[in-house]
Amino acid sequence: MQLGTMAWRTLMRNKRRSVITAFSVGFGILLSVTFTASGDYAYTNMINTSAVMGLGHLSVEHPDYRDTPTLDKRLLEAEAVQQRALQTPGVTGALVRIMGQAMFAGGAKSVGGAFIAIDPAQETPAHNIFLRTLIEGQCFSSGEERGVVVGAKMAEKLNLRLGKKLIFTMTDKNGELVSELGRVSGIFRTGDDSVDGAVVLLPLGLVRKALGYEPMAASLVAIFLEDHRAAKTIQGKLVHLWAQSKEITVLTWQESQADLAGLIAVDRLFNYLLQFLVGLVIAAGIMNTLLMSVMERQREFGIMMALGMMPGQVVRLVLLESCWLALLGLALGVVITTPWFLYMARIGLDFSGQIGTDYSAGGVLVDPVMKFRLYRESAMWIAGAMFSLTIVAGIFPAFKAGRMTPVENLKQG
Amino acid sequence: MNNMPLVQLENVSRIYQQGKVQVAAVTDFSLQIQAGEFSVLCGPSGSGKTTILNLIGALDEPSLGRVLLEGRDLALLGRSDLARLRRDRIGFVFQSYNLNPVLTACENAEFVLALQNIPHAQRRQRVMAVLAEVGMAELAQRRPDELSGGQQQRIAIARAIVSRPAIVLADEPTANVDSATADAILDLMARLNQEQGITFLFSTHDQRVMDRARRLIHLRDGRLERDEVRG
Repeated sequence: MQLGTMAWRTLMRNKRRSVITAFSVGFGILLSVTFTASGDYAYTNMINTSAVMGLGHLSVEHPDYRDTPTLDKRLLEAEAVQQRALQTPGVTGALVRIMGQAMFAGGAKSVGGAFIAIDPAQETPAHNIFLRTLIEGQCFSSGEERGVVVGAKMAEKLNLRLGKKLIFTMTDKNGELVSELGRVSGIFRTGDDSVDGAVVLLPLGLVRKALGYEPMAASLVAIFLEDHRAAKTIQGKLVHLWAQSKEITVLTWQESQADLAGLIAVDRLFNYLLQFLVGLVIAAGIMNTLLMSVMERQREFGIMMALGMMPGQVVRLVLLESCWLALLGLALGVVITTPWFLYMARIGLDFSGQIGTDYSAGGVLVDPVMKFRLYRESAMWIAGAMFSLTIVAGIFPAFKAGRMTPVENLKQG
Repeated sequence: MNNMPLVQLENVSRIYQQGKVQVAAVTDFSLQIQAGEFSVLCGPSGSGKTTILNLIGALDEPSLGRVLLEGRDLALLGRSDLARLRRDRIGFVFQSYNLNPVLTACENAEFVLALQNIPHAQRRQRVMAVLAEVGMAELAQRRPDELSGGQQQRIAIARAIVSRPAIVLADEPTANVDSATADAILDLMARLNQEQGITFLFSTHDQRVMDRARRLIHLRDGRLERDEVRG
């Protein structure tokens, strides 16, 4: 007879109480999965949305571009950077872009905004939210030197329609004002008015010529990753690739999108805090149950100690009961959480009625449908935390059982 | 060494604090027990019988005086050493059997051997032999709640003797069983004493037990009243 077997049988002596306590562990898992998986989904969604809005998960750019994003700061061999980046494992896309500020005029009206100059032959909707949200027309093709794609809000402001002219004015690499003419080939609507009213996609070749850029130059190469969590690791690899060049720097989305990274960090912190508090309440319940169970069995512990059980073995026995309780709780947690998780992962809860479809945070559109996504490490973390919590809750009752002398225990009951 | 008493109590007192009042359960008590004895501590309730068993069984510490088991002063041993001593050298039989309800009869009987880390096959063999000795081999796989009081007490005796202890301390072992069962249990313990030389020390006020004893240690108010050795 092993202590583990004895602990399990002891736990099953009061099945109802053990199952209710295990359910509280399971309920803790349900709550933890709800908090973590909704966070994992929302953060991943925001990060990926932010990436396809221009900068990617990683951006390779001139070291001074981030602090002073003027158009004279550029990568001279952007295409070469792109090719090297594409060979790095974990990278799903690398796109050469020029991004900057410009004045856009159509007819008698003009507005300030931002442009992203792209190579239409390389861009895909997967890596470009504006191509994904086209509502009219299409993206200009490679042969279409003067095509532009504008946001619906800007089209409305400037009274633009497909085929209409758009004049854009920007500062070239020498600080001179230059203007070019384009024709609207497509209109997009992301749902965020601040984006739809400010962003314009322009042909890379036309912008290069307008800015006086070298044939391979661009302000950045936006790199897209299979998994945004690999950003730091892949940044390290890319930095190593260009360690000799003082003209190239690699930024993660956290560095290039500091507002978003800060927002996610704070939200995650509150999420953890909330889970910690819920965990404390659950741990108090588990400890209460285990303590009650220990107090009820004081005479039994006295007998076992009289027969020669060491205080440490008594402690181990109670801790093993906690272990079994934790495992039972984990199993019940999986049973009660799985249907909820599957529903939320596949269908989710639609909050568009409450927050609308254009709610943004940290400059990024937020999906109004709350869904779940649980990374493997998050699942492991939840299981580990709940298991540890249950064991920790058992420490005090275990030491209480082991600390008393046999005669003190024998006098009980 | 052969003349060394198995148990020696030297001017032992045990005083309990009950709230603000001090209660002396045992006062200036001295006793020697030799190996192979079949002795009884007798006296009315509150005379200190259980306290003395607890002191000899290393379950409690004297407030004054010394308790020696096989020449070892128990006060000099730490908690783990005392636990080891109880496990290896002392057997206990309690009034209410006190079998572990989650273990089978066999597992209860082998509990001490398991604590001694004796390999499973070896301890199972020893336990089955002892269960046969106490007439419980047939019911080895039953749980305590499936056994009568007498059967449970037999298992408790098996548990007490299976590790071949130096002494078995039995606290009112017949208190909760009927006369026939009490006689059977006493027969069993007397036989184990005679055949295997196991030392028994009982606490009781049951006349049947006292009738069987070869030595009667009479207690009153925590003091030795009379030490009566029978032929």
